[in-house]
Amino acid sequence: MSSLLFGLRLSRWGILGFSLAALISTFIQAVGFYQIAGHTPAEHAAFGASMITLSSQFVALFPTPLRPDTVEGYVQFRGFNPLAIIFAVWALASATGFARGDEERGIVESELATGTTRPALVAARAGAFAIGVLVASAAAGAGFVFGVESGGESVPARGPIEACALLAAVGLSAYAISLLVAQLASARAATALAGALLLALFLVNSLSRVMSSLSTWRWLSPFRYYELSQPLPPGGYFDVRGLLVLLAIAIVATAAAAAAFMLRDLGAPLVRVPSPRHRPGFGASSVPFWNVPVARGLYERKLGLLAWSIAMAVLAWVFVALTRTIVQVLLSIPTFVPYLSVFVHQKLYPAVLGYTWFDVAQLMFAALAITYVARWSSEDTDGRLEMLLSTPQSRAAIVLERMAVLIAASLLVAAVSGVVLFNASHAAGIDLDARRLVEACLLLVPFVLVFAGAGSLLAAWNPRAAVGLLGAFAFASYLDNELAPIYKLPAWVQSLSAFKLVGTPLLNGVDGRSLALMLLLALAGLGSSILVMQRRDVGA
Amino acid sequence: MLVEMALAAIRTSALTKDYRAGRGLFDLDLQVSSQEAFGYLGPNGSGKTTTIRLLMGMIRPTRGSAYVFGLDCIRDSAQVKRRVGYLPGDVPQFGSLHGGEIVAYLGGMRGGVDQRHVRAIAERFDLDLNRPFREYSSGNKQKLAILLAFMHQPDLLILDEPTSGLDPLNQQEFYNLLRERQKAGATIFLSSHVLSEVEHVCDRVGILRSGRLVHVHAVDMAETEPSLEEVFLSFFAEPRPKALPP
Repeated sequence: MSSLLFGLRLSRWGILGFSLAALISTFIQAVGFYQIAGHTPAEHAAFGASMITLSSQFVALFPTPLRPDTVEGYVQFRGFNPLAIIFAVWALASATGFARGDEERGIVESELATGTTRPALVAARAGAFAIGVLVASAAAGAGFVFGVESGGESVPARGPIEACALLAAVGLSAYAISLLVAQLASARAATALAGALLLALFLVNSLSRVMSSLSTWRWLSPFRYYELSQPLPPGGYFDVRGLLVLLAIAIVATAAAAAAFMLRDLGAPLVRVPSPRHRPGFGASSVPFWNVPVARGLYERKLGLLAWSIAMAVLAWVFVALTRTIVQVLLSIPTFVPYLSVFVHQKLYPAVLGYTWFDVAQLMFAALAITYVARWSSEDTDGRLEMLLSTPQSRAAIVLERMAVLIAASLLVAAVSGVVLFNASHAAGIDLDARRLVEACLLLVPFVLVFAGAGSLLAAWNPRAAVGLLGAFAFASYLDNELAPIYKLPAWVQSLSAFKLVGTPLLNGVDGRSLALMLLLALAGLGSSILVMQRRDVGA
Repeated sequence: MLVEMALAAIRTSALTKDYRAGRGLFDLDLQVSSQEAFGYLGPNGSGKTTTIRLLMGMIRPTRGSAYVFGLDCIRDSAQVKRRVGYLPGDVPQFGSLHGGEIVAYLGGMRGGVDQRHVRAIAERFDLDLNRPFREYSSGNKQKLAILLAFMHQPDLLILDEPTSGLDPLNQQEFYNLLRERQKAGATIFLSSHVLSEVEHVCDRVGILRSGRLVHVHAVDMAETEPSLEEVFLSFFAEPRPKALPP
């Protein structure tokens, strides 16, 4: 029992944050429906048709919505389905954090020293996550119900309860799978491997909607069993067997993780990769990059940079491949042809690619900025910053070098993904404007700098809270861009979002005013972070 | 006064860091001469690490001032660190970087590090720099921290409990290294819990209690004078419970 309570205490901020995000997300979507869907049945039907059009662009991510002309169908599509992905990411972070992060910090060793058995410890932490994900799922359900009530309607309790049960079950199964992978891999590789497996399982299911060759593997993915149900909309369905399979995955994978934990040494993976024979050495590394400012930062993060570049290149290639499929599906539906004809003067394929790819690229580059800020924060808390400051470098120089490393890294990732996008689209017969593509890729750098400037300030002010606050800032910025037009908020409110400031550069070019504003925001963040860093205590 | 400041390797005046509730460092007036080995003794929470962080410019004083070789520890922080080797109380975490990469990284930031000197220290401590930091034992992490503090042959060594985690053989090697550096003209400021260590290494020892410097003891005193241990215990010997409660 004490292990369970301790597990809950360790994950309290995660539970609170994800519960709030779930509550706000479904509430806003429900309230938003009443704002934008109109009031008459005809308006609702037209809105539903436009949502189906929209969903066809994201068919590789989410299933086609059922009855998006109703608040239940709309929130199922735009509220609950994205939350399933978000909860899976939470599960990944939580499971690998326990299995390897807490182990590296000595927390697991201390708990085992109290006489707690390994299976009991795994069960306690899985139980703590189960409680957390149930609370967050209930928050999602509550947000939906409150949102519907704000529109003067009510919904029967059964639908939200079933939707919440599914959310919790998909989160639990992702947690158990991550926990199992984390037992097999080394501490360094656990998160990456578990993340890669979850991503692969997600893509197997989602891409099978547009690539029939993948459909034979669909049964392997827990996301498949989540999608078997759409319990909220009128005429929806709830597949009890799908829910049971998700729970079975959670139980079996957790039991397997506990067994693997019993078989391995603490701090070591169950599966050991043979390493080459070690030769002792007494000299410093002779790699010249260590002596060159900025180059040393890039060299230190070389593996991460390589992973980001490859991931973005693959993503660019996948989006090009999907664009042709998506557009062909749309063109085969006669009712969409008039809608699509507005794009014809802009060339249809580049237009769709411009919308879909740069939407995702912005999210990914915001995530890149957050990972760098997380690194700056951890340098502060694990004593590395103190060591860097023991060299004859000023605090301002260290902040500036950090920022320069991020600029160089984002330029590299943007260049690699841009080159792949251009070549892949050329090979697919999609004619992208090379000059606009270069401008659009370059624009991602000031976009990253907006988040980096804010992150640098937060990391200088309070490194322990920086990542959470920057994540919230990015989430708010994204919501602002998505929801401000729906709620008809003033233009200046929309301009507060970095996502809005980027615009659609591949279609409409770069807006000089927005670019200047982004650079100004980045400079303000950088300047104030230098001032705060110079005034604060380090290592105290 | 100006001559005194120039000669002193470390000089503080009413140096205070007030963390409230009686915690911190209060009104420290201290002068450590060039080429002197100064020990800093005191129980946990007495203000040793706070003093060291103030000297290194990591934290800002509530009031008072601190100078190293006549340079202000806050205003001229970067210049101060050019001449200082620092060993923090907690060895920082360098994750998956190899020992040799960490040395090259910090050496590159510092500049002017003689690679032969690095190799000589690593060999003396039998420290394998080809291993990832995360695979080091706590003793090897401490050896790496010693190497990082000594690698640029600094004029002043500021060392916070430098021998914690070292086995007796490596402790002896560390003392030898310290003496060699002092003979080469370096000043040493060393905090420790171990009376015998500071007595063995230092010329003078300052004793801290509750954030205040209560006594400075010259180690080479006549036998008729009280020993360091007697002096230390006179400040801290208080009746303690003889046994744990059942």
